[in-house]
Amino acid sequence: MGELVIGIILIIISITFYVTAGGFPALSDAPLQAGSFPQFIAVLLGFLSLIFVLIKAKELAGRKSGSTQESMGDKIRHFYEEHRLVLITLVSLVLYIILMQLIGFVITTIVFIVVTGYIIGPKKKKDLLILSAVAVVVTLSAFFFFENVLYVRFPSGLLF
Amino acid sequence: MLDLLLLGMTELLHIKLLFIILLGVIVGILAGLIPGFTVTMAIVLTLPLTFGMEPVAGVAAMIGVFVGGMSGGLISAALLGIPGTPSSVATTFDAFPMSQNGEPGKALSIGIWASFLSSIVSFFILISIAPQIADFALLLGPWEMFSLIVVSLTIIASVTGDSIIKGLITGAFGLLISTVGADPIIGIPRFSFGLDTLRAGIPFLVVLIGMFAISRLFQSLENKEMVQDKQRRQEEKLKEVKFILQPLKTMKTVMKKPGTLVGSSAIGSIIGAIPGAGGSIANIVAYDQAKKWSKNPEKFGTGCEEGVIASEAGNNSTVGGDLIPTIALGIPGSAVTAVLLSALMVHGITPGPLLIVNEPSVVGGIFSAFLIASFWMLITQFVGIRYFVKVTQVPVHMLVPIILVLCVIGTFVLNNRLTDLYILLAMGIIGYLFAKYGFSLAPAIIGVILGPIAEVNLRRAVMSDPDWTLFFTRPISLIFLVLAVLSILFTVWQSAKLKRRSAGSL
Repeated sequence: MGELVIGIILIIISITFYVTAGGFPALSDAPLQAGSFPQFIAVLLGFLSLIFVLIKAKELAGRKSGSTQESMGDKIRHFYEEHRLVLITLVSLVLYIILMQLIGFVITTIVFIVVTGYIIGPKKKKDLLILSAVAVVVTLSAFFFFENVLYVRFPSGLLF
Repeated sequence: MLDLLLLGMTELLHIKLLFIILLGVIVGILAGLIPGFTVTMAIVLTLPLTFGMEPVAGVAAMIGVFVGGMSGGLISAALLGIPGTPSSVATTFDAFPMSQNGEPGKALSIGIWASFLSSIVSFFILISIAPQIADFALLLGPWEMFSLIVVSLTIIASVTGDSIIKGLITGAFGLLISTVGADPIIGIPRFSFGLDTLRAGIPFLVVLIGMFAISRLFQSLENKEMVQDKQRRQEEKLKEVKFILQPLKTMKTVMKKPGTLVGSSAIGSIIGAIPGAGGSIANIVAYDQAKKWSKNPEKFGTGCEEGVIASEAGNNSTVGGDLIPTIALGIPGSAVTAVLLSALMVHGITPGPLLIVNEPSVVGGIFSAFLIASFWMLITQFVGIRYFVKVTQVPVHMLVPIILVLCVIGTFVLNNRLTDLYILLAMGIIGYLFAKYGFSLAPAIIGVILGPIAEVNLRRAVMSDPDWTLFFTRPISLIFLVLAVLSILFTVWQSAKLKRRSAGSL
């Protein structure tokens, strides 16, 4: 099922790229323009994805009849249990990236490591202490190394 | 060839550089050892640290990680029967029984010697073949270069992942991603879709970090992986293995099997040179061949010396093989060498057949770094193996957030652009979904790095002569294209055969 969805999304992406590439300006009378190569690749990707979707759809149709029915609610619950940590970590990563611009690199990084590690790991006081110590050391050493050796300016945040 | 090596040696024989390579080797061994932490991840995260260094030093550090990483999987494979990396799967077949028979020290020592000696064999193959191939490649026009990229991508698609069509899809997807941003010949902005983030293009390294590091970390957080990990850790606690290494005695053991050693190293080097195929395939093929040629194949799988030698020689020699197309043609055979090439590009060095002529000190540096890293690997493994074993105990809940942060830092440091972080997120999610449904990511990565080269060569070819048929009438170009078609047909035929066989056995 997932494979089918990926295939269909890829077909949509190919069509979007193909159409967009058609609108690129033609600057010279060269046989290949800025849009030609992308169009060629888009056709290739669309064609491959179409074959893939057809194969998978055929497989799925063949299997449907014999498979045991699992209720939709069970499926969703099962999926959530399996991917709970993935989803939580993804959300905290998104928040980390957004908040870094507002609050600054050092604070958000330390908070991100501690919070994410705490959610994933065992909820013990000793683990939390070690985790916090590691978070501070990693963050500060990375910060000072890149700021002083490579002259990278990390976001300092709007508040400071 | 030798002058290149001498030049490289003079560049590298400084205390600071030797130390950098040593650090790289240690990081690589640890990365190979910790389950869930891959060599590719390690090399990607090393890259930003090398920006401040000279190009030679940066590349040397990464070669260290590469060589160390290939040998790191040995430790958990021999002691626990769990391959730390896919490259050491076959090592578990014989090294683990050997340590269960009460000789864990012997299993480790043989593995270390085999890794080292095979690196040396593949080093000689590398330095003798790479310059010849580069010379040959100088004769190739844009038609041949384009066809060469086509054949590389189809081979990568056919050797990785669970079906060729999925590999071709991710390969084409990678090529399509690479067209976002400025047109490589006249500079027209393409596919920004009104987003400022995309105007500068999608940087190759951001795709790599997202697809190979972030997505892998997400995978390790799935419930079933977490449960497996917990079980493994409990088992490990029970196995506080004590072992005695016997470096000199085992060296003789390995030397007494020159056929297995050289044969497996040659297999590893050849497989390493094929784009997309690396240590994970080589160790199994080398093991299989060694078994076929052995006088007593029935001993394989019970803890026999030849089995350990074949597998470890097979995976470590892929490093030298992988570097052949990377240096000679500018076409990386794996994600690791793709990072290596992009590190060169960061320093303004263009990879390709002209690399050896234009940048002899860099190429010499790569050769020498490979040799030095092999020696460091030998020494660190024998001295430090007791301490390395402890590192597998690092808990997942600490590893994951810290590596995520390092990925974010690495991405930001590349271009100092916060918007790249959103691309990183998107690539992480795409990579995770692809990997989850059995699409291999290697073709996508190689597609992204080769896309612009393919486009430039295609357009140059058509600009100098608008005749399309030249791709099929120029002999070398035709050979490449025929190879591409053959590799697809062969894979389809092979998977159909496998399917029939499994259907027959049911």
